[in-house]
Amino acid sequence: MSFDTLVFYLLAALTVFAALRVITARNPVHAALFLVLAFFSTAGIWMLLEAEFLAITLVLVYVGAVMVLFLFVVMMLDINLVQLREGFWRWFPFGVVLAAIMVFEMVWVLGSRQTVETGAQVAKHAADYSNTKELGRLIYTEYVYPFELAAVVLLVAIVAAIALSLRHRRDSKSQDVAKQVAVRREDRVRIVSVPSGKKAGPGIED
Amino acid sequence: MSFLSTLFPAYAEIFLLVMVSAILIVDLFLTNPNKTVTYALVQLTLLGCSMITVSTHQHGVVYLFHNMFVDDLMSDVLKMLSYLSVSMMLVYSRNYLMVRGLFTGEFMALTLFALLGMMVMISASHFLTLYLGLELLSLSLYAMVALQRDSAIATEAAMKYFILGALASGLLLYGMSMFYGATGTLEVAAVSDAITHGVPNKALLVFGLVFVVSGLAFKLGAVPFHMWVPDVYHGAPTAMTMLIGTAPKLAAFAFVMRILVEGLQPLMVHWSGMLVILAVLSIAVGNITAIAQTNLKRMLAYSTISHMGFLLLGVLSGGIDGYGAAMFYAAVYVLMSLGGFGMIMLLSREGFEADTLNDYKGLNQRSPWLAFVMLLLMFSMAGVPPMVGFYAKFSVLSAVVNAGHIPLAVIAVLFSLIGAFYYLRIVKLMYFDAPESHVPISIQPDSGLLISMNGLAVLALGIMPGTFMSVCAVAVQQSLLLH
Amino acid sequence: MSNMQNLYLLVPMAPLVGAIAAGLFGNMLGRTWTHRITILMVAVSFLASLRIFQDVLDGHTFNGTVYQWMTSGDTRFEVGFLIDRLSVMMMLVVTFVSLMVHIYTIGYMRDDPGYQRFFSYISLFTFSMLMLVMANNFMQLFFGWEAVGLVSYLLIGFWYTRETAIYANLKAFLVNRVGDFGFLLGIGLVLMVFGTLDYAAVFATAQNHAHDMAPIPGVSWNLMTAICILLFIGAMGKSAQFPLHVWLPDSMEGPTPISALIHAATMVTAGIFMVARMSPLFELSDTALSFVMIIGAITALFMGFLGIIQNDIKRVVAYSTLSQLGYMTVALGASAYSVAVFHLMTHAFFKALLFLAAGSVIIAMHHDQDIRNMGGLKKYMPITWITSLIGSLALIGTPFLSGFYSKDSIIEAVGLSHLPGSGFAYFAVVAGVFVTAFYSFRMYFLVFHGEERFGKAHHAAHDAHDDAHAQHDEHHGLAPGQKPHETPWVVWLPLVLLAIPSVLIGYVTIDPVLFGGFFRDAIYVAEHHQAMAELKGKFHGAAAMALHGLATLPFWLALGGVATAWFFYMKRPDIPAAIKQRFSLVYAILERKYGFDEFNDWFFAGGARDASRFLWQFSDVKLIDGLMVNGSARLVGMFSGVLRRLQSGYIYHYAFAMLIGVFVLLTIRTWFE
Repeated sequence: MSFDTLVFYLLAALTVFAALRVITARNPVHAALFLVLAFFSTAGIWMLLEAEFLAITLVLVYVGAVMVLFLFVVMMLDINLVQLREGFWRWFPFGVVLAAIMVFEMVWVLGSRQTVETGAQVAKHAADYSNTKELGRLIYTEYVYPFELAAVVLLVAIVAAIALSLRHRRDSKSQDVAKQVAVRREDRVRIVSVPSGKKAGPGIED
Repeated sequence: MSFLSTLFPAYAEIFLLVMVSAILIVDLFLTNPNKTVTYALVQLTLLGCSMITVSTHQHGVVYLFHNMFVDDLMSDVLKMLSYLSVSMMLVYSRNYLMVRGLFTGEFMALTLFALLGMMVMISASHFLTLYLGLELLSLSLYAMVALQRDSAIATEAAMKYFILGALASGLLLYGMSMFYGATGTLEVAAVSDAITHGVPNKALLVFGLVFVVSGLAFKLGAVPFHMWVPDVYHGAPTAMTMLIGTAPKLAAFAFVMRILVEGLQPLMVHWSGMLVILAVLSIAVGNITAIAQTNLKRMLAYSTISHMGFLLLGVLSGGIDGYGAAMFYAAVYVLMSLGGFGMIMLLSREGFEADTLNDYKGLNQRSPWLAFVMLLLMFSMAGVPPMVGFYAKFSVLSAVVNAGHIPLAVIAVLFSLIGAFYYLRIVKLMYFDAPESHVPISIQPDSGLLISMNGLAVLALGIMPGTFMSVCAVAVQQSLLLH
Repeated sequence: MSNMQNLYLLVPMAPLVGAIAAGLFGNMLGRTWTHRITILMVAVSFLASLRIFQDVLDGHTFNGTVYQWMTSGDTRFEVGFLIDRLSVMMMLVVTFVSLMVHIYTIGYMRDDPGYQRFFSYISLFTFSMLMLVMANNFMQLFFGWEAVGLVSYLLIGFWYTRETAIYANLKAFLVNRVGDFGFLLGIGLVLMVFGTLDYAAVFATAQNHAHDMAPIPGVSWNLMTAICILLFIGAMGKSAQFPLHVWLPDSMEGPTPISALIHAATMVTAGIFMVARMSPLFELSDTALSFVMIIGAITALFMGFLGIIQNDIKRVVAYSTLSQLGYMTVALGASAYSVAVFHLMTHAFFKALLFLAAGSVIIAMHHDQDIRNMGGLKKYMPITWITSLIGSLALIGTPFLSGFYSKDSIIEAVGLSHLPGSGFAYFAVVAGVFVTAFYSFRMYFLVFHGEERFGKAHHAAHDAHDDAHAQHDEHHGLAPGQKPHETPWVVWLPLVLLAIPSVLIGYVTIDPVLFGGFFRDAIYVAEHHQAMAELKGKFHGAAAMALHGLATLPFWLALGGVATAWFFYMKRPDIPAAIKQRFSLVYAILERKYGFDEFNDWFFAGGARDASRFLWQFSDVKLIDGLMVNGSARLVGMFSGVLRRLQSGYIYHYAFAMLIGVFVLLTIRTWFE
């Protein structure tokens, strides 16, 4: 077993462990942190595959931005995980059996010698081969159509996020300067002529 | 030839994207609460798209963007049907959404984005674009279901749809990665070539196939990947339900055709076996469960499930017959669903949803014409001749029989018979029961006219299905044989 | 699509448009516009047919598909037209008579609340009949066949509040169903053997199957005989041939215009037309031809007898129709298809004329149909009188009038036939001439001549045998002292227009139609069936034929019939009464129409009722309702409840279900492949 392989299995085991903990951790903050760990170990696997750019992006974007934001949200909201997990343990044994069989099947198929031998091979590149540059080139040439589509997907996400969260609250107080400037006297002051009475209103009588 | 003119097969998509961006901006400056201008722009966009699709059509199959985009007769026909369906959906839902305060610029923009997603799926010849189109469509739909924020049931539906959809996308991507691993390419045609000519690992391919078929089954709503369908159909505002239940099924059909038929034709033995299970379960569960429903939207959801089972039957039969029948079935299903959901919206009014079966009691006394249109639609869904639904079922079944799956055909017919019960129950309620409410029905002239045409089209197409059926057959034939 | 093809399409579509306009928008259009539109549409159809006729005479026939409806396996179901001389002639007859009837209806139905509905029906009928005659394949033929049957059913029961009308249309429907069953079996057999429903394809290969055996297990029948007899059973139903004739007299419950259009001139001739169209098949089976001829002969003679004792003016004409249809059928059996179609055409004109004239009389008599209450109408209704006389003379075969040419040709052709049964058929058609003349002029004399019996105490409006189901409350009759008067122009104009061809058409067309090879390829006659060829040898021009006709037996028989009628009913009215007394048994048999109705009621209706009762009480209630329907419904309901509970609403249940699905698929794929 080469060193590469050893590192791969270590990282893979770590990923699986972290992923399991994400769903089993009782504390949501812990769960989020385990997710960060899973991302880190995945980034490590990509490094092994010589996909440096992707590995770094994963860390920077997911760990650095997305997960931090996520942690904020988790901390701000008071989520009762126990309630969400109602029935979890009831189905757990059944789920475990099912998962075990599926894992067995996957190993059966993917682990067979034939799969290893006939799978498409990863191209090997020279040491000065720039992953980032190649990716950049491909995105703007061969993959320009999916790239544009991905941009549209993001646009939809923005529109959706705004449509779902923007709420014009009627009770919020805000100042409209234009309205204030344009106001006229008639709008604000009403002159009422009160006839001077011969008699005052009914006084207080004992 | 300039670069722009080489893009002409994708002009419709480009035009749509430009227009939807423009509409998003223009809408911000319009203060009219009825959104008349935005609405008109959207309808004009759809009209423009259809004109472009017609005028850029050319014989044969054209690839673009490094074989990621394909333009053929099947894609053009499906796109035209999608425009029509989205346009009809907007007419039906305009008033319904207006009284609920949901007829906003965002709604229309998301609708067009969803349409763009469908078009991308329909024209995709690469697993990546297939997936991106699907995500574009799904994301827009998730957001639209959640648009009615003060409705707990709609929010819940959106949540379920989103989470389960994400799970399905995961399955799909996992399956696709297996294909990539086995063949080293994501191009549909190249995958097909690699399987035919190379000696990739069959076990690995079949393994990936399981996940891809599962993902597809989710999008179609086939049993056992169907659980989201009733909840989402029921929970979402009816206009969104209509959108989810109609045009995306055409895109899903294209999706199935592109992946299973064009890409994985050599593995047909394997996937048709899986589709048999899904189809039989869908037809059985859909038809049986629909009987127990008291809510019309839920009932139509289960009816959709069974219809998707029929569509799968057509696909698994194979051959021009089978695929043509499946395409015809998808289009007919869309037409009938538009009518069915349109009727719910027509009879609804402010603060009232006409979505329980009891709301249809005695409809004949309140509005004989609407009752008659509903009767046509229900008969068609049940597959009563001479409605078009009968012919759609018939052509699928004859393809199934020709492919030698006699037991399948028998099962399908038996469950359709059971299914006929719940469609006919509505007819019975409309004609033989006393109405529970006597609120006068007020209908907008445009949607009233549309539903009449919709109902009559179901009848007319049933009497003369030949032309449209042959269009479907030719479309399928041209896109498949020229590879 | 060429111009002519558009024109072909126009012919059936114009009446359909009219029918839809009158049927769906009749209330909006009002009465006047309804009849304007429908008449215009039928007129358009008639003119288009004329143009097509001219085109066909120039030698342009057409056989092609207009629309492909659907395909099932290798069988295509199409809408197509076969425009040749046979169909174009039928188109002309149908549209012309239909046009006359449309106009006539304005007057006849003037006060009826179902005015628009009636116009819608007759236009729809015209459409259906045109589809039938223009068909180029069996499926469309069957469509037209059923469609005319349906409209006929609707029209017989037009006055659906009358119990007799309901009984009559039910009877027509059921009897036709028997015929259609045979017809459908015949078509099925054609499809099975030839693998196509297209006329041309079937006829082209028919010869190859001439000596095949029918693929019916356990029976060794010649294939062609089986097909032809099955098809002819359909014709027996539609063209009211013995023993499926029972519905036609009862169909007189419908309004008179449709009696003229459907039950005399066009629909009932569909069977004749169909057999003529199928001549390439029938020619291959002498057995079937014999069968056709004998059935026709029985109908021609025995139905004529029944006409003698009828007192309802429309029923007399109805029985004469039956008898004339018998004549046509006999001609078919003698392989004289062109003669049959020729008689079909002439008969269409003079029988429509007679019916419409009868309707005119009925209007004048304020809906009293009993000829014993009429008499002497000649004075009051001169146009109706003269046209009726022309119609009657044409019917009995007076030389130079149209009926003479066609009927005499039939008699001659039968005389020349050598098929088994032709001797009996010859006797029947010759004897039929006397009978026809007798009952026609009995009616004529009783209605138009003699003592004026209207406005007096009525005879019992109906014969005893009708009382069981006849309650004609609507028949008012004239009040004492009231006089009938001539009907309005919309009623008498069609009479005049129909009288013209009734006189002339035979003289003008016999030469080209029968002997000039008018039909060309449309009709096929095998070489060993010599009747037509020999007939041609004897023919020396229309005038010569008429002059020669004066010296033949049929003419003298007809004259004898007229004279007897005159003597019995004008001179010595006591004789018929005496005969009735003396031969009471014969009279009773005739009055009961040979007992067919009683037999059908007892055997078929009663037997079916008993069988149904058994099936209902045992099979339906216990087995099907109890065990299968309710049982399976309960089972489905149970399942439905269970499945519904699976829809728990929890996301993780749903996700779990999906994973189980993946698991199942995966397991099946990895383990069982």
